[in-house]
Amino acid sequence: MTLEDELTSAAAQGHTAEVSRLLQAGAQVNGVNRFGRSAVQVMMMGSTPVAEVLLRHGADPNVADRRTGATPLHDAARAGFLDTVRLLVNYKADPRAKDKANCQPIDLARKSGLTDVVAYLECVLSGNSGL
Amino acid sequence: MAHATSIQYEPVAEIGGGAYGTVFKARDIQSGQFVALKSVRVQTDQNGLPISTVREVAVLKRLEQFDHPNVVRLMDVCAIQRSDQETKVTLVFEHVDQDLKTYLERTPAPGLSPERIKDLMRQLLCGLAFLHSNRVMHRDLKPENILVTSQGQVKLADFGLARIYSCHMALTPVVVTLWYRPPEVLLQSSYATPVDIWSTGCIFAEMFRRKPLFCGESEVDQLGKIFEVIGLPPEEEWPTDVTLTRKNFPPNMPRPIADFVPEISEQGAQLLLKMLTFDPLKRISALNALEHSYFQDGETLSQTKAKVMQ
Repeated sequence: MTLEDELTSAAAQGHTAEVSRLLQAGAQVNGVNRFGRSAVQVMMMGSTPVAEVLLRHGADPNVADRRTGATPLHDAARAGFLDTVRLLVNYKADPRAKDKANCQPIDLARKSGLTDVVAYLECVLSGNSGL
Repeated sequence: MAHATSIQYEPVAEIGGGAYGTVFKARDIQSGQFVALKSVRVQTDQNGLPISTVREVAVLKRLEQFDHPNVVRLMDVCAIQRSDQETKVTLVFEHVDQDLKTYLERTPAPGLSPERIKDLMRQLLCGLAFLHSNRVMHRDLKPENILVTSQGQVKLADFGLARIYSCHMALTPVVVTLWYRPPEVLLQSSYATPVDIWSTGCIFAEMFRRKPLFCGESEVDQLGKIFEVIGLPPEEEWPTDVTLTRKNFPPNMPRPIADFVPEISEQGAQLLLKMLTFDPLKRISALNALEHSYFQDGETLSQTKAKVMQ
């Protein structure tokens, strides 16, 4: 098990302290695990603290899933975690990114009926990203 | 049972397990959504899968037909034969990207409002009442397997797996938390659905405290910490089929629960004590807990009942 395997597992389980510890121990924040995914791609989307630690350490928020083309912003928007959506956008996640089904994050939030995320992303897309 | 899991579901990270198999966060390629893959290796003979495994999977599939709002969806079950002696059974569950542990951790001070706690507790108990009325016990309820969606919906996970895993548990030693275990399990006495109510009580207290109530480091230490709060139970309540005797513990008197859970209302404290009752036969049931006066303001009894029946 590599440090990156451990980092992605800790991120996926929302273990913030463990994520910090592994980064300090030298785990590469954009390194991939044995499934070819980085920590920010597999993190527990509801754990804004984990997202914050990863992004502060330089995690690339625009990395797309090699199979579906979904970015972390797609996944956070689909699940409706507004705090994480906001954080990703603040760290320059592209709100116009399209997955392989040609959907933007806002389309997935709309499909899930998540009005708060839809409203926020509408503002971002219209250029008022200072929200 | 379907085949070819690996094609429809692509693992993206390992999120637990060890004792009985492995749990993966995976992506359902068709829907794009995340799922949880829980695999267990089962010994097989010429008759195929053991009847006990088939029965447990059948119970989970039957539960799924009720579509209960407070338990995770079981989306698929796959069996792949690895060799003549071993089959890998994979259960595909809905994945919710937030658990109660994370939810409590990221709630800013001063913590959850009393109304929010009541709503979470009502949903948790509805899920439990549903499982218990179908004679399924969870056995390992803790904040990590109580999932909370972004819309605040509670969904219980990892229920009904204990017996599928049990024959494999002994193979690999893993560290499991003792903090939510009831006295009868710590004492290795017989147990049933009241175990889950004890765990629910511990979690109820934790929602107020935002830290666990009883943090023992061994079975005996865990019992000691419990008795410091609820008091040493009387001799006649001590189970007779256990090796650890009552004399091993100091004669603690019960202390006011509000000393440990300061923000709790009087009715909340009453309900909590009924959950943290030493004797499992005297412990409140999930259905009766839902009818407790703690839940009676705001929502009427019939609405609560209607939710349970869903």
